[in-house]
Amino acid sequence: MAVKLTINGIAFAIDPKQTILDSLERNGIGSEYHCRDGHCGACQCKLLSGEVAYDKTPMAYVRSGHILTCCSKPKGDVELAIPGVRLPLKLTG
Amino acid sequence: MNKYTTFSKLQNNPLKEPMFLGNPVNVARYDQQKFEIFEKLIEKQLSFFWRPEEVDVSRDRVDFQELPEHEQHIFISNLKYQTLLDSIQGRSPNVALLPLVSIPELETWIETWAFSETIHSRSYTHIIRNLFTDPSEIFDDIVVNEEIQKRADDISCYYDDLITATQFYQLNGAGELTKEDGSKEQITVRNIKKKLFLCINSVNALEAIRFYVSFACSFAFAERHLLEGNAKIIRLIARDEALHLNSTQHILNLWKDGADDPEMAEIAKECEQEARDIFMRAAQQEKEWAEYLFKDGSMIGLNKDILCQYVEYISNVRMQAIGFDAPFETTSNPIPWINNWLVSDNVQVAPQESEISSYLVGQIDSEIDHDDLGDFEL
Repeated sequence: MAVKLTINGIAFAIDPKQTILDSLERNGIGSEYHCRDGHCGACQCKLLSGEVAYDKTPMAYVRSGHILTCCSKPKGDVELAIPGVRLPLKLTG
Repeated sequence: MNKYTTFSKLQNNPLKEPMFLGNPVNVARYDQQKFEIFEKLIEKQLSFFWRPEEVDVSRDRVDFQELPEHEQHIFISNLKYQTLLDSIQGRSPNVALLPLVSIPELETWIETWAFSETIHSRSYTHIIRNLFTDPSEIFDDIVVNEEIQKRADDISCYYDDLITATQFYQLNGAGELTKEDGSKEQITVRNIKKKLFLCINSVNALEAIRFYVSFACSFAFAERHLLEGNAKIIRLIARDEALHLNSTQHILNLWKDGADDPEMAEIAKECEQEARDIFMRAAQQEKEWAEYLFKDGSMIGLNKDILCQYVEYISNVRMQAIGFDAPFETTSNPIPWINNWLVSDNVQVAPQESEISSYLVGQIDSEIDHDDLGDFEL
């Protein structure tokens, strides 16, 4: 069942079985990433509400209240703040 | 801080030692860790092991000879700069940090880290030897090229300052050090801790942004299917550098968050502005480097302005990772295609020959319970 992902105030449905980064890309949102393996920390962003789960604990230093999008999956509805990210017209309307 | 010895007979508990400037490490044991991250980094770095000779760079010679002069300048200058950076990084973490480290997992991480930098240095020789009949003309310029020297000074001064103070303290204990220029400085343990803090900040900035201008150029050539052997090597180097950066970010954050030596938490607060300045200076130098690279002309897909924006963008990401505010206004990546080159598992290798994490993770499921045998009948 789909869950709701909210990025900078814009909400859309995503598949919770996919990583958040994969869901972002699937929706045409290009956010920062490097290693896609949880060790570089480039995709770190602020978690405003909700919870995420990691298949394996990421190696990067994740500051409290932050998550890595490349290796986390939403446990329910999730809201994130990713400064500078451009959302496609189909989502912003 | 106790005097350095290669094997301390003091029966200490390494789980209670600070990362640095506690008792010297005695038994190299990895069954327990104060900070598990360094053990994980060692394992990851070992799984990333590669050798430059595995990458065929012979095609690059033809590509290089066909490049216009200003693009040859870009390519060669980057190689020289990276050679300098890895010359420093191949030795300095060992010389500066090993006499101060106090927990076994971090000691071995430092050695593993520096070793991987020596592989990078060897790969530059591999690339340069292929491009030039006489590699000396390239290597000899590194110590005289003004643009490279400017950067070298700013990196090595923090290491050198720490090394000199440590050596003085090891010989004399606390006291007054007379420097080469005749100026005097009081050396105390706190003063060494401060030098260590600044040194790690300088190394962190190096691993975080100094390599990325060169990386961007190498990948931009490869996007045009030029110098692809070089790009394959740079990709492996970038993969390693992400781990090195992870470790300096961890050290800085552990200090800052008070998870290690409480005095280091104080110093982190006291020297916050200085640490910030180190980063900002590195960013400024990288922008100047971009200007030097493109002084005679741009290359397709990259120019000075785009690279400067990227320096600002990546500096924002890296500074936030160690708890600073983003200092620059650039919020989006001007060269998003670079990220495809920085994906750890995209490095093309035969899975059975190298340890790709996704190939190894989950290959053995050693947990079994009654439910797994629920439908089992004899």
